[in-house]
Amino acid sequence: MPDPITQIIQLVTSTYFLEIVVFPGLISIAILGAFFTWFERKLTARVQLRIGPSYSSPAGGILQGFADIIKLLFKELIIPEGADRFFFIMSPVTALIIGAALLGLIPFAPGVQIANVEVGLPAFLAIVTLSPTLVLLAGWSANSKFPFIGGLRALFQQTAYEIPLWLSALGVVMITGTLNLTGIVQFQQNNGWLILPQALGALLFIVTSTAEMERLPFDLPEAESEIMMGWQAEYPGPLFMLVQGPAFIKLYAFAALFSTLYLGGYLGPAIIPPIVWFFLKTIVIIVAVMLFRSTFPRVRLDQLLRQGWTTLLTLSIVNIVIAYFIVVGVPAI
Amino acid sequence: MVSQGIPEETGYIIFLFAATLALVITLRLVISPRDPRPTPEKKAPFESGQIASGPGRTRFIIQYYPYILMFVVYDVIAMFLFAWALDLRALGASGTVPVLTFMVVALVPLAYALHLAGQRENW
Amino acid sequence: MTDLTFLALATVTVASAILALEARDLVYGAAALGITFLGMAGLFFLLDASYVGAFQIAVYIGAVVVLILFTVMLVGPQLGEPPLELRRLSLLTALLVALLLGTAGSLTSAAAFPGPDNCGGGCDLTRLGTTLINQYGVPLEFLSLVLAAAVIGALTLAKADRKG
Repeated sequence: MPDPITQIIQLVTSTYFLEIVVFPGLISIAILGAFFTWFERKLTARVQLRIGPSYSSPAGGILQGFADIIKLLFKELIIPEGADRFFFIMSPVTALIIGAALLGLIPFAPGVQIANVEVGLPAFLAIVTLSPTLVLLAGWSANSKFPFIGGLRALFQQTAYEIPLWLSALGVVMITGTLNLTGIVQFQQNNGWLILPQALGALLFIVTSTAEMERLPFDLPEAESEIMMGWQAEYPGPLFMLVQGPAFIKLYAFAALFSTLYLGGYLGPAIIPPIVWFFLKTIVIIVAVMLFRSTFPRVRLDQLLRQGWTTLLTLSIVNIVIAYFIVVGVPAI
Repeated sequence: MVSQGIPEETGYIIFLFAATLALVITLRLVISPRDPRPTPEKKAPFESGQIASGPGRTRFIIQYYPYILMFVVYDVIAMFLFAWALDLRALGASGTVPVLTFMVVALVPLAYALHLAGQRENW
Repeated sequence: MTDLTFLALATVTVASAILALEARDLVYGAAALGITFLGMAGLFFLLDASYVGAFQIAVYIGAVVVLILFTVMLVGPQLGEPPLELRRLSLLTALLVALLLGTAGSLTSAAAFPGPDNCGGGCDLTRLGTTLINQYGVPLEFLSLVLAAAVIGALTLAKADRKG
């Protein structure tokens, strides 16, 4: 075993370190997060026939996200009376680490992947289950009514979408026979994109992952018109930035996971490099999810729970049956 | 990506560590602006402009409690189904009967559970 | 490097387990329990049982800890019992348990579990499903019965309790 100092020097000078720090690691996450905030506001504005952010740069306010980050970063840190300081600060920080951990599992291009874990798909979904717990703790810690309601809603919402989310991803595992995300992409190289045999699964996956991301048809925990941003209500400027960060990282990570599972990830004709293909697909999914936000009204909590345990669960079992017949073949009757 | 002989898991842990470190630095930056003597209004919890009344952690949502219980039980199902799905090609039709029995036996009570959960006056 | 990772994970797991028992605020206790489970999942990953590790996180933290947190918050702001004093008896018990576990651990080896599953270092994840269905088919069915009983039992108990 070489001594640790040599190992560290080796690490810092390796391409692996670059992957962690620059792409697909931390710096690209921060830049893309800022870009997506602007992009979403602009897109929503277009749908609603407004102009949206336009001052922060000549090119249609594209720097608005960075301006917001700087503004929020230098606001005063106010922690409300009676709040639990530890959980109040730790929950958003941990949520951000979770978001980074999610992106580390995605294969962006052949070889461009921070951690090629054997069980990439369950690991991704398992790490994602941690975030409603953090939302609950954050809502509880603020010692205020709206955040607490938001945190509880996040918890109940999780019970509705979590099992359909796992079961819709199960169809992919049945067909490919692997849990490794790179393995799933390689399977699609030989057998075509999975969105065709798994159309129902893909639809369920995008619906349940929208619920997981707490985005608009399912944004009950933050519902700004009912409970005033819910669990985020008490967060002061700098921490609010840390709260908003994971939301966009999760959007990015889930869109990347969707294109990995169903759209062949980085695969595509060799005219343009794989990484560009990957981003094209991911951005299509992100735009779709953002359009949900500007098109659908919010569901009620009881409706979501009821539909999650009846319609979504039934459909995901139907999807399992479809995948079963694709793999095993329809028996001759 | 095992480039310089570093094990994958170790690299992942280092990645998480780096993410944490970056955050700590950000937080340190963040703490700079300060108000030495904040007024009580400044630190009061938000209640739509009203003066905050009563303890903050009330307003409990209890009527959907059965769904949490159901969730804790049925979350386990996915775990066993994933093990089966992973081997579906090798197992072929031979694994169908056990898995089908497993799912039917586990999911039939769900109908009863949903019926109970629907009776709002019980919760 | 593996030893170092193991030591770090074991320290975190044990420390947070102690905190989970001794924390005065029950919410902190529940959160510490979550960290204990996370540490255990890390240990599973270290043992190359990444499948078990992933589901340890999903089931134990995603569902069990959440249920505990919810219940603790439901019960309200009362604080838990003050930490117990370290009595001589409890020290003795701890020593005995540690001794027992240590002996069991040192006696345990791969040879202690003979049978077709003992595939040594070449264990493949893809054999998991086949083994589960072909060798543990009957336990699997009983497990589904347990799940069914658990959900009906939990709902009936919770309901009766509310009605008083």
